[in-house]
Amino acid sequence: MQRLLLRRLGLALLLIVAASALIFAIIAAAPGNVAALIAERAAGAGADGAMIARIEQELGLNDPLPIRYLTWLSHAAVGDYGVSLRTGKPIAEEFAARIPVTATLLGFGGVIAFLLSLAMGLAGAASNGGVVDRVLHAVALIGASTPNFFVAALLVIAFAVTLGWLPSFGASGPASWILPAVTIALFPASVLSRVVRVNLQEAMARPFATTGFAKGLTRGSVLLREALPNIAVPFLTTFGAQFTLMTIGAIVVETVFALRGVGSFFIDAIRFRDFIGMQATLLLFVVFFVTANFLVDLICLLVDPRLRRGRN
Amino acid sequence: MTDISRRNFLTAASVIPFIAALPNGVFAAEHETLKIAISAETGNLDLLQNVSTLSAYTVVFDALIHYGPGGTLEPGLATAWTVAEDGKSISFDLREGVVFSDGTPFDAAAVEWNLKRWMGVPDFSWIGVADAYESVVVDAPNKVTVKLKRPVPAALMELTIVRPVRFLSPKAVDAKGVQSAPVGTGPWIVESYDSARTVLVRNDKYWGDKPFFQKIDLVVVPDELARANGLRAGDLDVIGGDWVATLSPRRAKALQAEGIPVVAEPGTATMHLGYSPVSPMVQDLAVRKAVFLGIDRAAIAAVLFEGFAEPTADVFPAVIPSSGKRHDVPVRDVAAAKAALTEGGWTDNGGSWMKGDQTLKLDLLVSEESLPGSRRIAEIVQGMLTEVGITVTVSSVDNATIHDRRPAFKYDLAFFTTYGAPYDPHGTLGASFVKASDTGPDGKIYISDELDPLVTGALAATGADREAKIQAVYDWLWDNVAICPLVVQKRVWAHSPRLKGFTLPATDYDLPFKGISA
Repeated sequence: MQRLLLRRLGLALLLIVAASALIFAIIAAAPGNVAALIAERAAGAGADGAMIARIEQELGLNDPLPIRYLTWLSHAAVGDYGVSLRTGKPIAEEFAARIPVTATLLGFGGVIAFLLSLAMGLAGAASNGGVVDRVLHAVALIGASTPNFFVAALLVIAFAVTLGWLPSFGASGPASWILPAVTIALFPASVLSRVVRVNLQEAMARPFATTGFAKGLTRGSVLLREALPNIAVPFLTTFGAQFTLMTIGAIVVETVFALRGVGSFFIDAIRFRDFIGMQATLLLFVVFFVTANFLVDLICLLVDPRLRRGRN
Repeated sequence: MTDISRRNFLTAASVIPFIAALPNGVFAAEHETLKIAISAETGNLDLLQNVSTLSAYTVVFDALIHYGPGGTLEPGLATAWTVAEDGKSISFDLREGVVFSDGTPFDAAAVEWNLKRWMGVPDFSWIGVADAYESVVVDAPNKVTVKLKRPVPAALMELTIVRPVRFLSPKAVDAKGVQSAPVGTGPWIVESYDSARTVLVRNDKYWGDKPFFQKIDLVVVPDELARANGLRAGDLDVIGGDWVATLSPRRAKALQAEGIPVVAEPGTATMHLGYSPVSPMVQDLAVRKAVFLGIDRAAIAAVLFEGFAEPTADVFPAVIPSSGKRHDVPVRDVAAAKAALTEGGWTDNGGSWMKGDQTLKLDLLVSEESLPGSRRIAEIVQGMLTEVGITVTVSSVDNATIHDRRPAFKYDLAFFTTYGAPYDPHGTLGASFVKASDTGPDGKIYISDELDPLVTGALAATGADREAKIQAVYDWLWDNVAICPLVVQKRVWAHSPRLKGFTLPATDYDLPFKGISA
């Protein structure tokens, strides 16, 4: 078990380093001049060629790419991501202020997706081909194929503009998180509900379920007591993948709901050609993805003894 | 005594979380705060850094002179000013009794300290008065004279701009002289700011008319649809302004149709189609004439801008001072455009034009990111010029690429906008029509060896000569069909029906609040 974990950890670190090199290479190859942007920030319309050349020299932008990469990575490893070209603030400071916003959104969204998908999957399995099952199937299909900016617009028009129950944007109180969290949760909840439903169907056809019925248990009891624990691994694995994908959704949802999280920082960085900010955010996303997947693997190992035995 | 049953108690308790969950403003006195949408955070409002949102400075910091409607110069922190006959010194009578919001008196010493932070500093040499700076002399506690190495005809206008010329409390800097807090003499004080909002409170020590509202909440809402919905839902009071939170013509029209008040006033910036100085195709006068005549400006204004733009044939809108005599907007004339090409030696080759072995093909550079809405305009222009027989390829690129390609003149046609008030006419003329000026990514609308001395001469001219020399520049541009002005987009804002007396300030950089009540 310990060796397995260490191997997974090593792989995760290797993945982060490889992804960081790719991020650096892509951003370095992108059109646009960082020095020109910094000069523009400092002097506005007064930015001229001499100033740009001076900044290039100061920042080491004329150094070979590998040297620049190693310098950037070594600084990033100790939390120094540089200064945002757009806001002029250290990116570490930006992250410190914005990660809680994104974490809250993902946290609420994750809880909604978790509970909603289980409820929909269980209700569908309990109905087993009935009206409820078919309606939930349709709802899941619609939820999984509707872009979240469209969902957001519909929710805002219904609950903020028409009914006036909830704020249309911002993080002004607990109520303001409802619409963004529901928006971001809809896609993963739809996908996960199908995973739950299909896996429950398979589990219900297995011998332990038949034994349960033979013992006189109701369908509901067999679903909850026998089948549900058996779908934990596929459910958690898919949930982990969907949860990390919610970060991508956060880029849109934060912008639409004016939440000032990491996603909106990233989109602003793209819009304003803040290469340093883009680089840092992409690295943060990679670290998050790799860590989340590592944790999901760990949880799966803990909840399913078969995996531990198999891997050992 | 009333008995409270367990059921009643639980019912009542269950309501508490819902009340707690209600938006913060529900029980607040809404009229005390004016909520204005901004598309990006204001930042720390450092007057020497080009990072923060320009509009937020204008309500916190005052200038010596303020830009009024039509470019009139209005007293700000200076009540009067005198430019010496030789143009090499400007004396200011300072407004008495003014204090910065931290209590520091505004006097000649504060003016001297502020001016020396940017005048004569190389990073600000793009401002004529900073480049020509020689010294600042304190004549009296309320009188200051700025001495210049040479006359700067646009000096007074330059002193109305936002950054870096406005006045900071000398106490609001750290030991290294770096601004530590945004403390000005303006009508509003920054109470707090972060990436989500900036809260301004009324400055009760302000020397001018006190604003109606006690607070302004500048709320960061980057998405235009979210801003419109925020206004519809009552979460915002004001949206709009090119430099604050753009309201597109289509969205403005939709809001107007719903009965939400939309205010549209003449714009101060012109959208141009510029010609590359290194493209042999558009250096051909006949081609420029054909392009000029082949575009239907009125249709662009009516259809693409939903009527929130005026077609134009001039470099600057009439609201810009010294914008010259006006020209009638040409009616689109395909036959005249074709005749111009024929006259210029081009031959119609069955739907396309040839001169020697060259086919008339133009590359139109556009970036939707850089200029929202420009992609659609490019497509319309492409369609219109195709009818003339000119093949136009629309090169749609990202913001970074246009910033590289435009200054390198890697295009035949590209969109430009003039700077607008309070930077024009001297700003755009000096930056976009002079070869030598290094304007970095902004590029040039039109440059030529013949035009250069005319523009530099006009910008250096003083006295009665100045207007005539600026007009000579406009005449040259017109006679040589060197520019292709398209439209002047209106300044479009929308506001909550609860607001009264909504009026727009003189420039797009100013935030509207004066005269507004609820």
